[in-house]
Amino acid sequence: MNLVRAELERLSARRFVQLMVVLLVFAFAVTAATTLAGSHKPTASELNSARQQAVDARRSMETTHQECLARLQERSPTDTSEYFADCADLDPVRQERLPIAADFLPGVFSFAEQAESLLYFLIAFLVLFGFLVGASYIGADLNSGGVVNLLLWRPRRLTVLAAKLGTLLGSVLALSLLASVVYLATFWVIGQSAGLPGRLDGDFWGSLGAVHGRGMVLVLLASALGFAIATLGRHTSAALGAVAAYAVVWELGGRLVLQIIDARRPDRLMLSSYIGAWLSGESRFFDPQLCAATAGTGYCSGLYTLTWGPALLVLVALTGGLTVLAFAVFRRRDLI
Amino acid sequence: MSAVIEIEGLRKTFHSLRNGRRVAVDGFDLLVEAGQVHGFLGPNGSGKTTTLRALLGLVRADSGRMTVLGEPSPELLPRVAGQVGAIVESPQFFGNFTGHRTLRLLARAGGVPVSRVDQVLDLVGLHDRGDDRVKSYSLGMKQRLAVASALLKDPRLLILDEPANGLDPAGIREMRDLMRSLAANGVTVLVSSHILGEIQLICDHVTIISRGRRVAAGRVDEVLAGHDRHEFLVRVAEPERAVELLHAAGLTAVVDGEALVVSGVGDPTVVSRALGEQGLWVGELTPLRPDLESVFLELTGAYGPSSVPRQVDDSSPPRDGAVIDLDRGVDA
Ligand SMILES: Nc1ncnc2c1ncn2[C@@H]1O[C@H](COP(=O)(O)OP(=O)(O)OP(=O)(O)O)[C@@H](O)[C@H]1O
Ligand SMILES: [Mg+2]
Repeated sequence: MNLVRAELERLSARRFVQLMVVLLVFAFAVTAATTLAGSHKPTASELNSARQQAVDARRSMETTHQECLARLQERSPTDTSEYFADCADLDPVRQERLPIAADFLPGVFSFAEQAESLLYFLIAFLVLFGFLVGASYIGADLNSGGVVNLLLWRPRRLTVLAAKLGTLLGSVLALSLLASVVYLATFWVIGQSAGLPGRLDGDFWGSLGAVHGRGMVLVLLASALGFAIATLGRHTSAALGAVAAYAVVWELGGRLVLQIIDARRPDRLMLSSYIGAWLSGESRFFDPQLCAATAGTGYCSGLYTLTWGPALLVLVALTGGLTVLAFAVFRRRDLI
Repeated sequence: MSAVIEIEGLRKTFHSLRNGRRVAVDGFDLLVEAGQVHGFLGPNGSGKTTTLRALLGLVRADSGRMTVLGEPSPELLPRVAGQVGAIVESPQFFGNFTGHRTLRLLARAGGVPVSRVDQVLDLVGLHDRGDDRVKSYSLGMKQRLAVASALLKDPRLLILDEPANGLDPAGIREMRDLMRSLAANGVTVLVSSHILGEIQLICDHVTIISRGRRVAAGRVDEVLAGHDRHEFLVRVAEPERAVELLHAAGLTAVVDGEALVVSGVGDPTVVSRALGEQGLWVGELTPLRPDLESVFLELTGAYGPSSVPRQVDDSSPPRDGAVIDLDRGVDA
């Protein structure tokens, strides 16, 4: 416990951590300020007109659907042209979202409409924050002899390293939760006072909460990953280098090579696909061979899905594996 | 007397891709008993720091047996770590913290009452600078902070790797006083240093290491006595004639400047009688006792007439029978 308290003090005193927190506050303030400046509370007439436009848009969708159904009835049984494949695609009832008044209110911030993308921005920042802080926290300490000093005091390597990792994850999580609450609350207030709150029902909060929860998991995974790679490489830059190398060599170069050799479903081999799938619940990718199998028999989207379950498994296995390896290596290594 | 540090047959090889294998410690033995102020001497690169690191569990030894305060190290080191204060090579501290905060964090991590921080800062003379950032400290001030960190636990055993590094003359003397007072309070001290005069003043025992092996060990006076060639400096009016007379009396003597150096003298009265009987009156008859420096240089072969600069790995390995160890007799 004492060890964790001491680590907490060290972590919070790090210049880099302070800088990142300042950066977070700054980015946050800028977003909030520009949103506030670019939004106003809609007048009654603006609202009425927007509502009318939304009703019109919905009605026109309905009309298109009906026309499609009518044409489907008329066509000859031999005609299989794809246009008619599925009128259900046009069915307003089956749309993910329907036009609403907020869509027709330019210059009005709607919390319900924007919250999710704002949250994604925050999560992206926190993932970067967690990774960099995780890497620099142990990397700098290994290099400056801080770890050696500590081990002279507490010659239990695994305990010392675990205390560091635990402190890191705990602090990053606490900061992330705090940041997201403040962040969302601010925009909620902006929506209430200088824009539209929008439909804030149970569905909305449920789906926002789900994105948030998955985002927090990703932030923790990124922190642990940065920590593990920097421990393995004895250096902060090892983590940065590893990620940069991975991105360039595999996500870009590897993807290109896989395309050239026409490998099947290259996205399945990319970490970024799993990150996307985990965050959004599922990701769809195109696979031309899916359609080759069903050629000529009708409609084929050629999409396959990565769902969050396997995505989480991949991400946890990678991070967990590297973390365990980092502890195993650190236990035996010569500390100079 | 009980052993506080015991090292037997310690071996440590460093492997690196660039330089291949390097044997840093090669079958080294060390025995430090309770209450000793034990000097640990050796040329640069002879393996002192590596030995201390292995003892404290910072590097893994290839082989050898080590105990600290009776517990095998590094396996059971955590049991006694609370009683061992150590600095290994100049420790690096986080520059942005103040001295006080640095120590407070260590105290907290080690479960030492925070009130102890002010005591040790005072002890090493940093009381007034405790609230300055470490990066603004001078070399000697950092070193003092390091010593303070080792003292924080109120240790039974203090291991100091070159504590005098960067200290000013007053600081060196303060360090000497500090070690003496610690020793008087029953703290066992193992201290490595290159300032041999200092070691001779404060240590009662020494171990000398060269090329990773022990070349001498035991009480300081015994080690010195073991290298006493019973030489005397003699001043007389006619040195050349004196040499002949001494030769005739069965002694070895050489002219050294204006004086003579006579060796193998058991009883100095023999010298004055041999010369006086022939009318040569001895003006000065001084025993030439070896000091730690001359013994050190002789044992480690670290200095000698040479036209090329000596390289760090040129120290000599131990010679047969060179090890003097009081507690075990003379190693053969
Ligand atoms: N991390 C390392 N990798 C490779 N070789 C090393 C390493 N650390 C020490 N050595 C080698 O081990 C030998 C002993 O080094 P050590 O630091 O123990 O010497 P020392 O007696 O403390 O010297 P000094 O008086 O200069 O402090 C040297 O030859 C050194 O080059
Ligand atoms: Mg050294």
